[in-house]
Amino acid sequence: MDRRTFLAYNALAAVPLSGAGLASFANSASAATGGAPIDFKSNLPAPGNFPPKWICGSSSCMDNTDPPVQVHWYNPHTAILRQNKAYSYEAPFAPLYFGNDRVLLLDEGFVQLRNDWDLRGVVDQCIEEWCRRNDRDPASLELLVAFSHLHADHYAAVNQFADRPNTRYMGLTHEEMVGFWGMTNFPEERVTLDLGGREILIWGSPGHVVSEFAYYDTYTQILYTGDMFYRGRCYISFWQPWFDSMKRLIDFCDTHPVTHVMGCHVEISNTGEDYAYGMTWQPDEAPVEMTVAQLREAFEYAKTITEPGIYFTGTVFLCNQTRGTTTIDKNPYRYS
Amino acid sequence: MPQSPTYNPALSGNPQSATARAYPNGNPDLGFNPPGARNTDSAVPLHRKGPVVHEYSCEGPAAGNLAFRWTYGSNIAAKNRDPRVQVVQYNEDTFVLRQNVCVHWEAPFTYLLFGNKGALLIDSGATANADHYPLRKTVDAIIARWGQARGRSRVPLTVALTSGEDIAQNQGLVQFAGRPDTVIVPKPLGAMKGFYGLAGSWPAGRGTIDLGDRLIEVIPTPGTHKDGVTFYDPYCDFLFTGDLLFPGKINIGNDRDFVASLERLKSFVAERPVKWILGGHIEMMFVPGKYYARFATYKPYERLLEMEPALIDEAIKYGREVQGKDMMLIRPDFVLFNGVSPDQRTQVWPEGVPNINAPRPF
Repeated sequence: MDRRTFLAYNALAAVPLSGAGLASFANSASAATGGAPIDFKSNLPAPGNFPPKWICGSSSCMDNTDPPVQVHWYNPHTAILRQNKAYSYEAPFAPLYFGNDRVLLLDEGFVQLRNDWDLRGVVDQCIEEWCRRNDRDPASLELLVAFSHLHADHYAAVNQFADRPNTRYMGLTHEEMVGFWGMTNFPEERVTLDLGGREILIWGSPGHVVSEFAYYDTYTQILYTGDMFYRGRCYISFWQPWFDSMKRLIDFCDTHPVTHVMGCHVEISNTGEDYAYGMTWQPDEAPVEMTVAQLREAFEYAKTITEPGIYFTGTVFLCNQTRGTTTIDKNPYRYS
Repeated sequence: MPQSPTYNPALSGNPQSATARAYPNGNPDLGFNPPGARNTDSAVPLHRKGPVVHEYSCEGPAAGNLAFRWTYGSNIAAKNRDPRVQVVQYNEDTFVLRQNVCVHWEAPFTYLLFGNKGALLIDSGATANADHYPLRKTVDAIIARWGQARGRSRVPLTVALTSGEDIAQNQGLVQFAGRPDTVIVPKPLGAMKGFYGLAGSWPAGRGTIDLGDRLIEVIPTPGTHKDGVTFYDPYCDFLFTGDLLFPGKINIGNDRDFVASLERLKSFVAERPVKWILGGHIEMMFVPGKYYARFATYKPYERLLEMEPALIDEAIKYGREVQGKDMMLIRPDFVLFNGVSPDQRTQVWPEGVPNINAPRPF
């Protein structure tokens, strides 16, 4: 199987070529797993909700009593994980999309070892919970572990999955990432990943880093923009590719319904205060989800930017080629 | 210390010799009865007649040792189980306390000095909540034990800050509010000047805090904070410089004051013996010129806390270089930030300094 067929390959549909033949995908899925197949294609977008407040660290890290990761079920077939800031200041978000045949984990949190915190255990728990609710066998589901882009706070946990059965994950090079999605024309090419009735559209979104993707879930219609556009400081390493990626996002929103635009981090307060790079407590954190209007607004703002620097669009900070951790912070003790 | 021709520690057969202290098993050439022994109170007497009057005058710096490694946080801050306040005794009358990095990333150092008439706490940590950072409880316990050892039922405490406005050092102050037999040096600049008798002369002049035969001198050193002061301890020969000069990212508040204060320290060092400069934090790694990011909760390769007095000259030289410019400047033992974000970065690497990248936690 080459990479392109892998994307469209439906593991369960291929197995039972019984009397019914390929009559319908739904029948074959139910035959293999017991539970009735879930319809991911009607009544879209599937409703769901974000929590009013995520766990967001604490003033003293060692006194933090929250779990290492918050698991929020956006709807019964979509979980969103968020790392505890006291376990890593990066505290990225990681959506977990369930289909009839496969589960897709996007991003992993900034953790390497299972004894630091057991991401794989948490994912397994989510899968078990989902299978229990939907009368499935967890072993029948393939897990795909992918990440939005090639930064350690999004792929660090990848080796936790090395010995997990029925699991495929992305490699840590641009070649392996692009190849994993079977792309031959990154970033313009848009591929469709079939999770078993639930389709994820994926295309390239370079700019923050070279190796980055945008992910659109046709079921919840959430557009996951990784680190190239999130509620905080969008570190733009390469302006023109980033601007082109923004244009691709806008074009996509022109032609597809999008309920929420979601990034990987939050680094800003509800009042627009910048939470500086590395902070482990964000008591008044802004929501992770953004609207298409906010994305468009940022794009309009970006059109006016001609120089490197830090710009606030009203939603996000665009840090145009300011490198790494440069923040808006000033030394509060300056005097004359 | 003169090198002995008769004893070569590298040949001593002790495996520590090559890497650690030069004389891991003691240097016999220094004699068995050094004069500093009289600055130590004997535990032999069973029943004391009265309070011990300690001998604080000594030739050279009083004997003492920062013999332990500082706690340095952990990769997963939430799982850290180190003490919230690390106590390291330098000598019988001098204690260094460090706040756990996983309680607050600033991990400030707090110093507790004793004299025959009382104790002085320099700085108070970055966390007010006594459950998270029980500074008062720890200080009370150290004072109680010290008082018992010296036969003193009453040990008045003075709490002073290297900067009243610095929230990385003044937060613990509230824990001492209402503590009996305690004087807290007022935080506001004007009141603080008045307390030290510097109202007319600031930033010239010197104040004193008398601990009883241990006369701590107070030197105005604005520059990183407009109310910055440095304390000098003539017993251990330490300068406690707070945020003015420490192995870390020095955020200059006013560059003219910064250089002027360092000049003042330089002339002070010329007239008084200074063994070490002890600052309020460590942010440098023990590879030259590299430092930990702000908010880091895991700093496994910290530089030593203590700085040699010669570093004042270096700080002056490079303080002048950044004066009037918005820039940062890397030196092996500190980094200067003038008029730029505390997260500023630079591509400029100091000439002649090896560029070593320490391994990252991941």
